[in-house]
Amino acid sequence: MNWESGSEDPFDSIFMADNRFHCEAYREGLAEGTRQGLLEGMSHGKMHGARLSAEMSFYYGFAFAWKCLLQNNTDAKSRKRLRALEALAEHVQAFPHDDPRHASLQPDVEKARAKFRQVSVTACPGFRHSSVTGQELVP
Amino acid sequence: MNILHKFSAHPDTRCWYVAWNPTGTLLASCGGDRAIRIWAREGDSWECRFVLPEGHQRTIRKVAWSPCGNYLASASFDATTCIWGKKGDDFECLTVLEGHENEVKCVSWAPSGSLLATCSRDKSVWVWEVDEEDEYECVSVVNAHTQDVKHVVWHPTKELLASASYDNTVRLYKEEDDDWVCKATLEGHTATVWSLAFDSSGQRLASCSDDRTVKIWKECHPEDEQGEGRASTDPEWKCVCTLSGFHSRTVYDVAWCQQTGLLATACADDGVRVFKEDSNSDCHQTIFSLSVHIPKAHNQDVNCVAWHPKEAGLLASCSDDGEIAIWSYQSET
Repeated sequence: MNWESGSEDPFDSIFMADNRFHCEAYREGLAEGTRQGLLEGMSHGKMHGARLSAEMSFYYGFAFAWKCLLQNNTDAKSRKRLRALEALAEHVQAFPHDDPRHASLQPDVEKARAKFRQVSVTACPGFRHSSVTGQELVP
Repeated sequence: MNILHKFSAHPDTRCWYVAWNPTGTLLASCGGDRAIRIWAREGDSWECRFVLPEGHQRTIRKVAWSPCGNYLASASFDATTCIWGKKGDDFECLTVLEGHENEVKCVSWAPSGSLLATCSRDKSVWVWEVDEEDEYECVSVVNAHTQDVKHVVWHPTKELLASASYDNTVRLYKEEDDDWVCKATLEGHTATVWSLAFDSSGQRLASCSDDRTVKIWKECHPEDEQGEGRASTDPEWKCVCTLSGFHSRTVYDVAWCQQTGLLATACADDGVRVFKEDSNSDCHQTIFSLSVHIPKAHNQDVNCVAWHPKEAGLLASCSDDGEIAIWSYQSET
């Protein structure tokens, strides 16, 4: 019988089966998990990317529309509001939308949001982007 | 330090803040009862001279007088800021500033009276401009803090704004190309920074915190040390003094007397303390020592301290117990 002289111990494959199947299953599971995770991540990223793009595009459209409405006014107040609207449009245009890993992405979003909040109370009083939320009191 | 008067200003609720008008004839207070009351000395006692009509839906956290003394601004948890003006024998609400998403925590007028700053739990600081027709327009929204902004205060002479936040930092802002931008971040406190006060020259800023300390920050111009004429660089603010070990709980407010240079603090341990700068303190090393400690100044947390703008050593404090106390500090020469 060759099992006595060969290096392969037939009992090894039995004794080690547990370990071998464990390793194989791990590899297969990892591959499948990676594939599924990529798909899920992709759809998650798509959703959030779309949401962010919609937000930024909304700001651009908002700035554009109000610029058209105010551009013929020559009073000092309107000029100031126009400058703020132009600044908002510039923020959106400078936004690094083609590079999701850009370092200034988050600060740029914050800047555009802040500018929008400013122009939404000055250019068009009464316009409200988000409602007042009644959360817990912190002094 | 002697107590001159103590009176119930906002019964059955908290008194959040007190503010002297610029001439020191009136003291405005606000509280959890959504009321603003204006007090004046009548002989030996303090009488309520005006009760402002209800303008806010929720707690009024802070009030601030305009530098001319004709207007009063109030910051409320209902997300609005009201501007009050005197009409005849009464105060009436002239404008309501809306824009913050939630609780407005503080309001402050710039020394020129033409700018107003507000801050909120929505993490933003807003700068408003007042025109000749008394109309207010938001000129900038700054989202520099990462948490609730607790306090805003203007530099006494320059157009420089400081804010304190739940994110443990103090930030300083300046105007740049039609916008207000954060020019410096003061890091050092290990918990919420509750309040700020500039000294009379504006070269130093005191901050108080949940970490039970008071820090003094000093403006340092980089060219001072290097002598290379880097005048275009923004000044840095360095911590030159930390008052620790004096307060056993959160320090809610700090006030720097514009005449005497005394520093008063309001603490959650119900105490009021007054610190005096040492005579051997120099521009490189600031030393403050505890001059007076009133352990039970109030029955509950002390929320605010305010030095009288004209009478040296006269201090007002207010507390969660709804009371206002007026103190007289005499220096122990």
